[in-house]
Amino acid sequence: MKTYFTRMGDASVTFMAEDEIRNDISDAVALAAKKGKIPPLTQEDMDHLFEIITMPGNIVGVNPGDEIVSTSDSQSDKLFLNTGLSLERTQQALVHERCFGADSIDLGFPDYNFKAAKPCAGTESLAAKNGLNQLIIPFLYAGMPNLGFYTKPDGPVENWAELLPDGKIEEALAAQEAAVDYAVHDMVYIAEKMYKIGMDGINMDTAGASGDADFLAALKACEAIRTKFPDMGVEMGMAGEYVLGMHGKLTYDGVRLAGLYPHKQVALAEKAGATIFGAVVNTNSNKSFAWNIARSCTFIKECSNVSNIPVHVNVGMGVGGIPMCEYLPSDVASRADKALVEICKIDGL
Amino acid sequence: MGGTKTAGDMVMRMQLAKGMRIGEAKKYVADKLGVSVMDLSDMYVMMEVRERLGLGLMQPVADTPTGIEAKLNIAKVLGITINSVERFKKRAGLV
Amino acid sequence: MGKENIFEEAIQAILDCDDDRAFEIFDEAMAQKIDPVELLAKGYSAGMTEAGEQFVSGEIFLPELVFMTEIMKKVTEKVEATLDLGNTAKKGKMIIATVEGDVHDIGKGIVASLIKTNGIQVYDLGREVTVDTIIEKAEEYQVDIIGTSALLTTTMTEQRVLEEELRARGIRDKYKTIVGGAPVTQKWADRIGADAYCEDAMEAVKVVLELLEK
Repeated sequence: MKTYFTRMGDASVTFMAEDEIRNDISDAVALAAKKGKIPPLTQEDMDHLFEIITMPGNIVGVNPGDEIVSTSDSQSDKLFLNTGLSLERTQQALVHERCFGADSIDLGFPDYNFKAAKPCAGTESLAAKNGLNQLIIPFLYAGMPNLGFYTKPDGPVENWAELLPDGKIEEALAAQEAAVDYAVHDMVYIAEKMYKIGMDGINMDTAGASGDADFLAALKACEAIRTKFPDMGVEMGMAGEYVLGMHGKLTYDGVRLAGLYPHKQVALAEKAGATIFGAVVNTNSNKSFAWNIARSCTFIKECSNVSNIPVHVNVGMGVGGIPMCEYLPSDVASRADKALVEICKIDGL
Repeated sequence: MGGTKTAGDMVMRMQLAKGMRIGEAKKYVADKLGVSVMDLSDMYVMMEVRERLGLGLMQPVADTPTGIEAKLNIAKVLGITINSVERFKKRAGLV
Repeated sequence: MGKENIFEEAIQAILDCDDDRAFEIFDEAMAQKIDPVELLAKGYSAGMTEAGEQFVSGEIFLPELVFMTEIMKKVTEKVEATLDLGNTAKKGKMIIATVEGDVHDIGKGIVASLIKTNGIQVYDLGREVTVDTIIEKAEEYQVDIIGTSALLTTTMTEQRVLEEELRARGIRDKYKTIVGGAPVTQKWADRIGADAYCEDAMEAVKVVLELLEK
């Protein structure tokens, strides 16, 4: 029986027969459609996905003319973080522009969250200016809202992740609500500094990582930034395909945030004024690449269908169908990208 | 899309600044540059366009615009305001 | 009200987060001389099982689940008092922690909450917990199970360190170990010698109960 080279969600190599791949695709599509209450991929989409997964060759690509653009999450520090190459962040950004062909690049604080960056906003502005003078590509300032950092001992509010299991529900909800205000303040503060130095945009990375309160903080900060600085772009990238209900009752524009999937998340991001939405679908390490990319495509296709703003799918480690491992295998990474472009009609990666 | 090897940076600018989806952003940039949408991704075409209009090259030579110089020209050609360009002009006393 | 109706009402009281109604049902059941253990199993516990499934499917969220757990704790105390068992022994004891170098604890907190609803004593050590602390606390609390969570490929190696350290100290057989977290797989659990792997919170409950029966 003919089998095809592919990988599991943890990047380990496996060989699968046609019916195994097709079954994984249809199972994953059905599950995603049920969870998200969204249309499944069409049979044509699933057949096309099978073709992509089983294409010969290591790297696959889209047709000439169908290329899309790229954004990144704090990529200007990733060369150092991932390889130990001791380059200053502006130099790293230039490497991305002049060697890697990046369409945009982010500047991010080494302790990659807005709370930690805030006291250093002055020196961050200087690094931003150095980059802006030398770079041609759009330059964004990136950070994580990361509401968890506002909890004790790192921050001023009680830790709701400890209060909830102890049954202290009211205290846990109040702590999250307080943390939202602190986080919004810090994000708007940094955005103002960056806007005044000339940055093209702000990237809120992993919005929703600490649950629905975290997502609310990103939405409120986005709204404030776009009101104060209407010509500053805001990219809002999510942490997961599902907004965890750590609070459960928080709303934005009358919509409860807990339990939202990408097609509902993007609507609120758009309402808040975001100009780019970074959709996320998490990889299951125990399932095949076929299962993971089929699931991703089902969620992302609907997200892209309903969105009026560009959708840039997160395709890093453990998201967007990509396996959960440090070194991304180019065979499945390129297949994930091709599938997302051709089936989901996304605007960027 | 290829960044400054092609027109990727400019298409990206239209997405970030105006929330344009990929098709609309590509068409906008293509119309402004006087090329086809397909040409935007073609480094052979775009190298000549970028050199001629001073939009910056991925592998610059000394007397071609880089950084803020190129962005000044990009802003003019695309008919948009680029924040860093405006700040530069203000700080340099050009406005 | 018949027995089956009482059980249905007990289930619904849990799902509605209605502690007053839960206690009213208890009183009605006692008035009808219904076996309190049966009431607990087919009523309130069944409600908690349904709640767990609703949580996993995203119909309810963590604070609601925690509130239901609190109601469950109180009705369980009432049942135990009726049976005059005093301090009923818990089904087992477990330590749970996010490993050293890793600050992610949302998933681990959800697992802790769900396991507690099943009458297991859970000591949550928090995040960034060293192997030494995990072992020290396991010995202090005399737990049955050690559960560790890691969300990063760079921190999941601490789970292997834990296994090695337990063996080096000659106490590996005292505990059952469970591993979880996004990059963790059954293959990883097998490779490092963990007793079990759990993909999600519901599976964690099932696995913990099975391990305690062994």
